[in-house]
Amino acid sequence: MTDLGIAIDSSTETGGRGAFRMFLRNKAAVAGLVVFTFIVLVTIFGPGIYGVEAHKMAAGPFLGPGDDAGPLLGTDYLGRDILAGVITGGRTTLFVAAVAGTMAMGLGLVVGSLAGYFGGWIDALLMRFTEIFQAMPSLLFSLVLIYLMGPGTWKETLAIGLTLWALPARLTRAEFLRVREMEFVKASRAIGSNDLRIMTRTILPNAMPPLLVAATLLVVIAILFHAGLAFLGMVDINTISWGSIMGKNRNYTLTAWWTVAFPGIAIVITGLSIALIGDGLQDAFNPKLRGR
Amino acid sequence: MLKRWIKVLSLFAVLSLFAAACGSSDSDSSDSGSSTASASAASDDEPAAEEDATEEEAAEEDAAEEATEETTPPPPQPKHGGTLVIATTQVGANVNHGVNSGIGIAQPSSKIFASLTHLDSNWEPQPYLAESWEVSDDSLTITFHLVKDATFHDGYSITSADVKFSIEVIQANHPFTGMWGPLESIETPDKHTVVLHLATPHPALWIATSDVMMPVMPKHIMDDGTPINEMRGHPNNVAGAIGSGPFRLTEYENTQKIVLERYEHFFIPDRPYLDKIIYVIVPDEDATMLGLESGEYDSGGYASVINAEKVSNNPDLVAIPDLLGGVGSLNHLQFNMANSIMSDLRVRQAIAYTIDRDYVINTLHQGQTMELLGGIHPSSPFYNENVERYDVDLDKARSLLYDAGYGDGLDLRINYIPGPNEQQRNVAEYIALALDEVGINVEVVQAADLPSWAGIFFGGPDAWHMTMNAYFNWGDPVIGVQRAYVCANIRPGVFVNNSAYCNEKVDELLYAAAAEPDVAKRKALYDEFQVITAIELPFYGINALPIFGANQLYVRDQPDGAWGPLSGMENIWLDK
Repeated sequence: MTDLGIAIDSSTETGGRGAFRMFLRNKAAVAGLVVFTFIVLVTIFGPGIYGVEAHKMAAGPFLGPGDDAGPLLGTDYLGRDILAGVITGGRTTLFVAAVAGTMAMGLGLVVGSLAGYFGGWIDALLMRFTEIFQAMPSLLFSLVLIYLMGPGTWKETLAIGLTLWALPARLTRAEFLRVREMEFVKASRAIGSNDLRIMTRTILPNAMPPLLVAATLLVVIAILFHAGLAFLGMVDINTISWGSIMGKNRNYTLTAWWTVAFPGIAIVITGLSIALIGDGLQDAFNPKLRGR
Repeated sequence: MLKRWIKVLSLFAVLSLFAAACGSSDSDSSDSGSSTASASAASDDEPAAEEDATEEEAAEEDAAEEATEETTPPPPQPKHGGTLVIATTQVGANVNHGVNSGIGIAQPSSKIFASLTHLDSNWEPQPYLAESWEVSDDSLTITFHLVKDATFHDGYSITSADVKFSIEVIQANHPFTGMWGPLESIETPDKHTVVLHLATPHPALWIATSDVMMPVMPKHIMDDGTPINEMRGHPNNVAGAIGSGPFRLTEYENTQKIVLERYEHFFIPDRPYLDKIIYVIVPDEDATMLGLESGEYDSGGYASVINAEKVSNNPDLVAIPDLLGGVGSLNHLQFNMANSIMSDLRVRQAIAYTIDRDYVINTLHQGQTMELLGGIHPSSPFYNENVERYDVDLDKARSLLYDAGYGDGLDLRINYIPGPNEQQRNVAEYIALALDEVGINVEVVQAADLPSWAGIFFGGPDAWHMTMNAYFNWGDPVIGVQRAYVCANIRPGVFVNNSAYCNEKVDELLYAAAAEPDVAKRKALYDEFQVITAIELPFYGINALPIFGANQLYVRDQPDGAWGPLSGMENIWLDK
């Protein structure tokens, strides 16, 4: 009995190894992974290596990137080093994005799997609840949450995480609905597995591929959300993030483009690299591409 | 596989091309921007000369126009009708400037409520609700004669009893306690005569009776049993307010918009010209600029040097260099002396020794603002520049902190009044950075809007340490300065003596100056006041805050009195 259960559960393992090979064959995804790893390493070790404190005045204000008197990427309205800001600001941005993305994914998984697995009134109730969140413009909802809670890195993370879970919830439910009627799930039930085991060990691994792709997308959305909130000045003014550098300097976009451009480029490159990774994951899990 | 690789490469190529294209065009514009900035910094004469030239040209053009107009039809006659849309960043708690102070309140208040007099551009009183007046030889008795057929918006006539009531309400509620200080009694011999008896001569009286300072309120509505000192909460200050001015309040959403409509039975015949005034509250100055450029707004105010430059280069807009001339807006760091840390003079002095005022003015504000050393606006005749300046001295600051027992460092908060970033946020951030040098760790606290910032003044002694604040002079020091320094004005409220500063000598000087008719003697008193307060630091002055304005070309007869757009606006009209 247990033997059969293990066989069913581990049926995805070989698929997982194959998927990794597929991923490696997608050169764009590998490039994305390399770039993203580089960015993460830079945000972790960069501030220590570069040695300039991002929140302090390094030189005169509004020095351009080519200016001999100023640092490499220029300075903002208070004379703060933009390069130091971009390196240090990545920490906050990536932290918020990772935690908020995970939070949204987790919430979505719980809600979606319950709804998809049990169906009936639980499904109806949870999906109506999800629709309430889907119907609200998420950025606006985040703004309201921050307005109510006040700025602060954890609160911002919460405000973003709480608004983004509807998408993964919908997706998880759809996958669960699809997988739950499959033969091996029926087999698992037939051998007496309880609901929790079926959900976590049997259905979830088989529903995982599209969810993983969605997770990467969520992180990108969370980065953009945090940048958007920061741009609107709704985040903690004492914490540096890519968005907050842009937001604080947006009045000077026309006179000092570098203050806004470099953090913006950092956001674009990070978002693009994560999206490429997601693209690679999608290919990796796509059975139609296997063996090509 | 190769195909895919090429695809990705080409995508990167396109992206980088795009970035490069943006970069180059941006750098072009930035070059021109920075070159003008450096030119103006290098020599003040050149751009000034250019401005003069353009002004002369404009004058010549005007003259040419006038010349042609003399031969052809007369100058354009004011037209009735139209809606004036004014963008403002200022939010007020109500629409009655008789019980509260603030630009956000003064703007609608001056339209909804009429005052006894107008103030012209020379600070001289002009008839308004009072058609004439007499001043006794000793300057202690002033008799006002009211316009006979004036009515409130509900049709009741405006009488001397309403004027008397309004002065009493202002005395009991308004933060500017100095305005009516010397008033002893008010007599109302008949329905249209008001006689004021003063204890001492009161040079600031003509400001107290003018536009924003003296909204005439309806006694028959407001005197309904509400205690006179609690009129701030009266419903006639918000939606549905019945006033005496040229415009009626028809819609009031204090954080979004205020709609005023023409009052047909206004006491000046044939006025106002406009059908409607709409105040749109736009918290973001750049959004105001965009709205002005697109023509969405007819009029707007802003305080950033960058936007001022933009407007003066835009031929479709009329730049108003000093929108709120009479207001005398100041930008300073205020200390909470009720707080146990900030009550220590050494801490305040250490902070003053650390902040570099010149850096703020010359670098952060590109030299476009005026230095401020005390509580009086630098353009005022009573300004004293020979006071303690606390020039930067970090060692002294450190030793003062050590003496005060904070040798190991200190954690403080700085709040800032929401307003133009260049003036408030950037300076607050700079101060936080500067204080870091002497071991004071400062958290910058932002507020979403004015009311939530003002909440700190109701939160007890530990609710705040320092705040970037903008007290305005409102004409005479008696009005805008005295309120922030006298012991009697330490009370819950905003723009009162929020520092909780109390010095008997300062009180004496201020009260004496308020009643001193001789200008030279008055100046001596205010000079000494500034010397003392510059040392004792309830405030650390930074700069005078310029407020620029812009109108569309078709907005005619913008009020040119001392209060500018904070007066009745019954004469403004649209030429379109």
